[in-house]
Amino acid sequence: MITNKSLGAFVLGFFLAGAALAQSGGEISPERKQAIDSLALEKVRDLSKYISIIGNKKTPFSEANRVMDRAEELFTPESEMGVSSLNRKEVTYYKVRKYFERLMALNYDRVTIQWYNIHYISDLERQPDGRYVGVVTIYQRFEGVSDDGLKYKDTTKKDITIYVERKKTQIQGRTVEFWDVMLGDIRVTETSA
Amino acid sequence: MIQNTMLYIRSMSGLKMMTIVVILMLAGAGCKSKKKAMEASNAAAEKARMEQEAAAKKQREREEEERARREAEARAQADRDAAAKKNEPYTRLERYFSSISGSGNSTAANNSINEALAMFASPDTPVLIIISQSGGQKDYDRPTTIRDYLNYLKDQQKNANKIDKLEFDGAGKITAVELTKLK
Repeated sequence: MITNKSLGAFVLGFFLAGAALAQSGGEISPERKQAIDSLALEKVRDLSKYISIIGNKKTPFSEANRVMDRAEELFTPESEMGVSSLNRKEVTYYKVRKYFERLMALNYDRVTIQWYNIHYISDLERQPDGRYVGVVTIYQRFEGVSDDGLKYKDTTKKDITIYVERKKTQIQGRTVEFWDVMLGDIRVTETSA
Repeated sequence: MIQNTMLYIRSMSGLKMMTIVVILMLAGAGCKSKKKAMEASNAAAEKARMEQEAAAKKQREREEEERARREAEARAQADRDAAAKKNEPYTRLERYFSSISGSGNSTAANNSINEALAMFASPDTPVLIIISQSGGQKDYDRPTTIRDYLNYLKDQQKNANKIDKLEFDGAGKITAVELTKLK
């Protein structure tokens, strides 16, 4: 038989366990969650800038390579980027490094790439393994122009999977806990002129 | 002897006696006025001495106040100099962050990056970025190095973090950087 005293102890224990879980990072306050959401969006915007630098024909080769390294660091290993065209139906997927190299080598004299309307379509949600996973949608405006007048442009809607994980590292003998935001596959969902 | 004097006085005439008494009285009166004059002179001297002392005391007080004021001013200046010296690396680094992120020119940005790196113990000096903090708990972005962070400013052309804390080695070089994300 459950007495009032034992029921009280159980309720108290339940709350203490919950508080301990929240403290250990199991649950986070809305303010902290907001900061993580913003951080993830910022990483997507950073990628957008890196892509425009890599695609820009005026970017020196060494700089483009350095930026490719930095852009690649934003992704989980083996992540893929979808590439579509108005001239074909299927979407081709490349490992991100390969995608950047192809982007740099595009056969145009001028390339401009702009990402806009960057927003969550699926909020970051905590998974059983402790990671937070969400999806961000972006619209990409691509324009390639050749000196002989050849011009190609399209607008692509892309979904980017976002992973956020709590990690620890040692810096100068001190343990630092941080939120690691990683981008996953980037899938093409629409392509239009 | 006394008896002889008494006999001599008795033998003097009344007039002589009177004359002596008058002389003695005049001499007595003269002494008194001299004493009074001396007393007046002493009082004036005392007053003058006291006034002199008061003036000297006032002068000492003025000098003391002036000295204290000068010392306080020197201390305040020293404090300002120390604060400026302490803040100098912060201000200088903020200026580099601003010029690197604001430079549309890759060469100019690279020059600023090289100049800024001279402030650090190593290009691999760690940089931590606080994305939020509440109740004494700080949430950080993935740690980076100063070389990568300066290049990040150049690539992204935005300076979205402010310097929160710098650590230095014995040579005055920066060994750690903590930034806070601007809201």
